Amino acid sequence: MCAEKVRKFDAVIVGSGISGVLIAKVLGKAGKKVLILEAGEKLPPDINSYMNRFLLATAKVPESPYPPELFTKGELTDPGTVKAGRPTVLSLGPKSKDGKKSFGDWTDPTQSYFIQKGPLAFGSTYERLNGGTSRHWLGTSLRFVPNDFEMKSKFHPKESGFVDWPVKYHHLERWYADAEKEIGVSADADEQNYLGIKFSSPYPMPKIPLSRVDMAVDKAMAAVKVPVPGLDKIAWKVSSTPAARNSQPYQDRRVCAGNTNCIPICPIQAKYDPSVTMAEALRTGNVEVWYDSVASQVAVDGDGKVTGIDFLRHNRERGHVTGKIYILAGNAIETPRLLLMSKNNGRTRDGVANSGKHKFVGKYLMDHPLYLAWALMPEGQPVWGYRGPLSTAGIEVARDGGFRRNHGAFRVEIGNEGWNFPIGDPDTTTIDFVNGLNFSQLNPEKKALFGPDLVAALNTNLTRQFRLGFLVEQSPDATNTVTLSDQYKDGLGLPRPQINYNLSNYTKQGLAAAEKTATAIFNSMGANEFTSAPADDDPSSFAWPGSKFGRLKYFGAGHIVGTHRMGDDPSNSATNSMQRSWDHDNLYLVGSGAFPTVATANPTLTLAALCLRTADYLVKKVLK
Amino acid sequence: MRLADPTELSKERETIMTDLTRRKMLTVTAASAATAVGSVNFTEPAVADDEADIGLFVKLSAALTGIDESKLAPSVDPIQIKREYYTKAKKHNPAFDGLMQIIRDDPTHAADAANKVMNNSDKDIQFLGRSIILAWYLGAWYERKNLETPPPTPPVPALEVVSKAAYTQAWTWRVAQAHPMGYSELRFGYWSNEPLPLDTFIKS
Repeated sequence: MCAEKVRKFDAVIVGSGISGVLIAKVLGKAGKKVLILEAGEKLPPDINSYMNRFLLATAKVPESPYPPELFTKGELTDPGTVKAGRPTVLSLGPKSKDGKKSFGDWTDPTQSYFIQKGPLAFGSTYERLNGGTSRHWLGTSLRFVPNDFEMKSKFHPKESGFVDWPVKYHHLERWYADAEKEIGVSADADEQNYLGIKFSSPYPMPKIPLSRVDMAVDKAMAAVKVPVPGLDKIAWKVSSTPAARNSQPYQDRRVCAGNTNCIPICPIQAKYDPSVTMAEALRTGNVEVWYDSVASQVAVDGDGKVTGIDFLRHNRERGHVTGKIYILAGNAIETPRLLLMSKNNGRTRDGVANSGKHKFVGKYLMDHPLYLAWALMPEGQPVWGYRGPLSTAGIEVARDGGFRRNHGAFRVEIGNEGWNFPIGDPDTTTIDFVNGLNFSQLNPEKKALFGPDLVAALNTNLTRQFRLGFLVEQSPDATNTVTLSDQYKDGLGLPRPQINYNLSNYTKQGLAAAEKTATAIFNSMGANEFTSAPADDDPSSFAWPGSKFGRLKYFGAGHIVGTHRMGDDPSNSATNSMQRSWDHDNLYLVGSGAFPTVATANPTLTLAALCLRTADYLVKKVLK
Repeated sequence: MRLADPTELSKERETIMTDLTRRKMLTVTAASAATAVGSVNFTEPAVADDEADIGLFVKLSAALTGIDESKLAPSVDPIQIKREYYTKAKKHNPAFDGLMQIIRDDPTHAADAANKVMNNSDKDIQFLGRSIILAWYLGAWYERKNLETPPPTPPVPALEVVSKAAYTQAWTWRVAQAHPMGYSELRFGYWSNEPLPLDTFIKS
């Protein structure tokens, strides 16, 4: 047992991601003693070690800059050997067949951290290190639209799946404003006041300018006609995306230099990451972080009071720490995993914060399944991708409307990185034209070029590429779950997360509408669409007769949501609107796992707003 | 108080950078790479006898890539990426000797030499030529076996990223009038403006 067990804190926080550090900073500034338990390694003195790892990575995936190592001796690292494991997008490959091991087999526990039970693959990943997943986030900081908080009453009054949030837009508005200042968001409030969004104060920095790709999409908007009921009357429009990315010097950080690398790592930290808030929290003198400390149980006494957190060091040394309150700020998979692991010698047989009839912990797992479409502008009309932040604008007008009675809404993210996301370009196209291949579909004659011909072919193709990503609203379904594997463990002997995941008809219809919208936009632009058909054995795809390929593919958006939903009553939720467990009044479950519905925008700003609201409550009402 | 519209600022800065880039791009590139990447991985210096061959290697590389010699290996060149690729290619004998002999035989006609390499009846030489082009363009080394027998779906696996500097100096990005992802030398808002003409990136 560690010597630290004798220490007592006002608050013990599990996880140093954005949720944890925002609360730690507020409590620390109020003079409260805070301990953060972080499963991952200590923060290096600067980001160079992460940057160097990225530069040398052959697979520059979102996880590539960060430990643990993705590869061991040329193979994906066996997650059973990793102390603080995490998923990777490389483990979403097809199932092995004919006795031959498939790289990244999504069902292979020696390649996939998640034990994926399907029927479809859950495609989102996260980090477990200082700063959490907001190390590799894009920085998109949109507010939700008011109707996102009222899906049941506005669109689905008779259905059990959709619920209203216990807070509405107007409850969160001032916390949104605080979060925007805290993480440093660049945007123009006059441009963002669509679909009922109102602002009480301006953004702290001016907006990020549009890219040439954004301008080309915007130019075509007026002529877009989408043949989907409910979307056919929309006045399509491009707007600059609010981003936690500096358009001016802010928080002693530099202005964005357009490195086109927000995911996985901004080399100059012009994009906010939680190490910024962590540094401020530590400067209060009231906040400590213990790294290499993997929480393994939330200890609860016979009266339902949380009495401490058990944890394991990577060397398997055990520890226990106590506080007045406990805040679980992992993510929407690791937090339910910890709760479900916490059996307390049978006193909490179904896990902590999981009593009652409905048992919400680990249920209603959601994401924004992302439909990806890509195209090439006509000859002589370059848009010059691979320049600027990864995304600077989007289309937000399809985030709300009566069609939400029938199918998922979506926002459209306009990419500035050519076909990097769709096909791994510029590498794939370059290899095609040097080596006489046609993986990109841009070299149908399979020419192997060199010299000026190679330059010309690459220039004309790479400068005309662009892509659109449609982040589709997923319905809450109780059968999409995080549970514990009873067979597979991590390198510390803790059970790995088991995922059951599927898409409802509501969600699939949303993806189908996205496909049609993409084609309509490309047609309006005069662009030649190159979106390719998914393979039949792609676990992130499903048969859809209405699709042009008879099959639709989706990607994970990294927006892991819903597994400890908040509500206004224990019968419909795991926590109240302050993210306090209904079962344990000194336990808080924070982060996007608290979202009752996934809404229509990237979750980070909203989870930050909720955390600032909870932190204020803790200071004024709980730890006063 | 807010500063002026960043779009306006970016226009002003683009003008500055345009001038800077045109006159000093090579120096800035080299210096920035050295500082941004931290310790640049210099390979062991080639022996003196190799110096002439390295010059010919660059000459042939320029013809193979379509990018000017002085861009691939500027006269003030603290990065010396040419040595990394030369060292890498030299490990592939006898194909390397065969490839170099072609440019030694007629160094004044590099384009002809490139043509002979890329259409060589000796497949080892032909694929070594492709590997050299890909090294300059992508900063990664691709072996013949992976190029000749690619997998049914991308990506074609690279043996390795040659070095941190190799990634940041990769030419495919410049041919796209852009910069390596994670390695911008430009300033806020540049993405709103058209890039400099292609020739500015690849010609002296």
